[in-house]
Amino acid sequence: MLETLKLTKRFNGHVAVNDLNLLIKPGEVFALLGPNGAGKTTTINLLLGFLTPDAGEARVNGASVATDPIAARRQIAYIPEQVMLYPRFTGVENLDYFSTLGGRRHTREELLALLKRAGLPAEAADRRVGTYSKGMRQKVGIALALATEAKALLLDEPTSGLDPAASHEFSLLLRKLAGQGVAVLMATHDLFRAREDATRIGILLDGKLAGDYATNDIKHVDLEKLYLKHLRA
Amino acid sequence: MIAAIARKEFLDAWRDGRFRIAAVVVLALLGVALLMAWQQVERTRSERAAAAVMERENWLNQGVKNSHSAGHFGVYVFKPLAPLAVFDRGIEPFVGTTVFLEAHRQNQAAFLPAQDATAMRRFGELTAAAGLQLLAPLVILLLTFGALAGERERGTLRQVLSLGVRPRDLVLGKALGLGAALATLLLPVALLGAAALATLPDAEGGGSWVRFAWMGGAYVLYLAAILAVCLAVSAMASTARAALAVLLVSWAANAVLAPRLAADLVQHILPTPKLVEFEAAMNQAVQEGLDGHNPRNQRLQTFAQETLKKHGKTRIEELPFNFNGLVMLESERMAGEVFDHHYGKLWDRLEAQDLTVTWAGLVAPLLGLRSASMALAGTDFTHHRHFSVAAEEHRRDFVRVLNEDMMNNTSGGHHGGVADPSLWEKLPAFRYEPPPSAHALRAATPGLVVLLLWAVVAWIALLVVAPRLKPN
Repeated sequence: MLETLKLTKRFNGHVAVNDLNLLIKPGEVFALLGPNGAGKTTTINLLLGFLTPDAGEARVNGASVATDPIAARRQIAYIPEQVMLYPRFTGVENLDYFSTLGGRRHTREELLALLKRAGLPAEAADRRVGTYSKGMRQKVGIALALATEAKALLLDEPTSGLDPAASHEFSLLLRKLAGQGVAVLMATHDLFRAREDATRIGILLDGKLAGDYATNDIKHVDLEKLYLKHLRA
Repeated sequence: MIAAIARKEFLDAWRDGRFRIAAVVVLALLGVALLMAWQQVERTRSERAAAAVMERENWLNQGVKNSHSAGHFGVYVFKPLAPLAVFDRGIEPFVGTTVFLEAHRQNQAAFLPAQDATAMRRFGELTAAAGLQLLAPLVILLLTFGALAGERERGTLRQVLSLGVRPRDLVLGKALGLGAALATLLLPVALLGAAALATLPDAEGGGSWVRFAWMGGAYVLYLAAILAVCLAVSAMASTARAALAVLLVSWAANAVLAPRLAADLVQHILPTPKLVEFEAAMNQAVQEGLDGHNPRNQRLQTFAQETLKKHGKTRIEELPFNFNGLVMLESERMAGEVFDHHYGKLWDRLEAQDLTVTWAGLVAPLLGLRSASMALAGTDFTHHRHFSVAAEEHRRDFVRVLNEDMMNNTSGGHHGGVADPSLWEKLPAFRYEPPPSAHALRAATPGLVVLLLWAVVAWIALLVVAPRLKPN
């Protein structure tokens, strides 16, 4: 479960996140939409404990990010726009290293199975990741989320730059993870993916949650109109 | 967790082609330096041993002559080269290797190896010590500048920290892994050095190994301090490029600027006299007494009167021995006091200079390391002084025996009579016992303290900086 309570962050007087209240329950995929500078990445950084809030609190599965960031992070898997891996290591070596850091040891067979579940071609697992495409690196990121059995998933523009097929594959995996009870927060510009993957959609403007909608209640066309309406307001 | 990070860093370093190239270059340079130094030490030791044998033969075969003339014939004694000069030649190239022992004078060691060198030598010698002091920090620098700053730039640091890794664990793991990569690079050099040392005769009966072990400790402290400083800079720098720039400037300040600056400053603060001034002051003191108010002739006249009185005689010729021999003994004693005073003062000043430079190591650790390394290798000034004192003691014994022979077995003036050639054999050859490892350790203590302080402070600083590690 991901939770923010009146979360506020300012940078040199500018309010990046303003009194933000969010509650993302296990199995929910919450898409955070908003233009550049709306505070999406700042919200993720606050949830990761990479930034200290000026007010309010962030919690992951009950653990306060401010007072126990390590415990909070232990329950999170984070997939940024570009999953960054160690280029001189193979996919399986990267996964082994990161999952060990995440507190989970796996055998080589288990790691290979996880990469396969994440959709990475078998022949790629033992190749150095310096040769991987962005989509392949994102899959290692998903495999890591599976490997660490994270309770919450933070995604920052995860499908940006992916081709439609890779993007679709990513969506399937995401839904699978949510189906296993993982709470997902996905910051994105992609209205289509938000409508497809999310169970709820929030529109963030100037750090404030301007709207919070259940996906079932809106169509693709309506979402676009709704988003533009908020932007123009 | 720390072990996993260390393992990954170790593998990553070895998979990095730049590190492998640096490793090959450093290994080759250090290996060649060791082999060349070993050859040179071997050659020098055998040359000096052969020269000592030849010199002894010259002495024994000098023929029939007056014992005072034998005192002026003199003998050369040769400074043996410490086995650990294989690693660190210290001040050896700049101090004499040979002392001419003769009557009336305490000579300084002459024949500096640097005099025989070509102009190219001014760029410095390639020794294992120089390699470890200058190149190893460069390798550490290249290995670590991007360890944290680079990960931050690439985004992997966010990835790692998002998993709940404690920054302190991450930094410690990196330090261990990179330290291990460096150790695998330097271990063969240490083994090669040990093999070289094992082939050289150890005058101390194992003392060289004690010194070698302490030397290893000194270098470990130095490199550990450098590693911690580099990682701390990498942790704090906003970019890898900024970290590299800061570290390169620091390396140049430590390795290039500090030694020159320290040498100039210490000469300014604790100046030493010019050689010509030193000799003139000493000669004047021999003639006029240490206080300058007691001329030598007057002192010898008083001495003659006291001797006549002691033996109940009124004329020198009535004494039951050659008075000239006794005068020689007395004037040697008086000159000895002057030499002890002047050389003692000069040597104390040189040691004070060295100590000041060593403590300047609190600012630039290389100064502390150089001092400790030379002391442990037996190539610092305290060892040179030990040899010079031993040579002078031998000179005084040798001159005393000749003067006693003149006094008891000859008659007439300085050059009256002849000595029995068996006298030459009575004078033993110079045998130098180098100081024990305890002496080296005492001399190295300030340098070791400087290095220990650097290592402790650098690691504390790293552990303080680590929790503030920013992912962006």
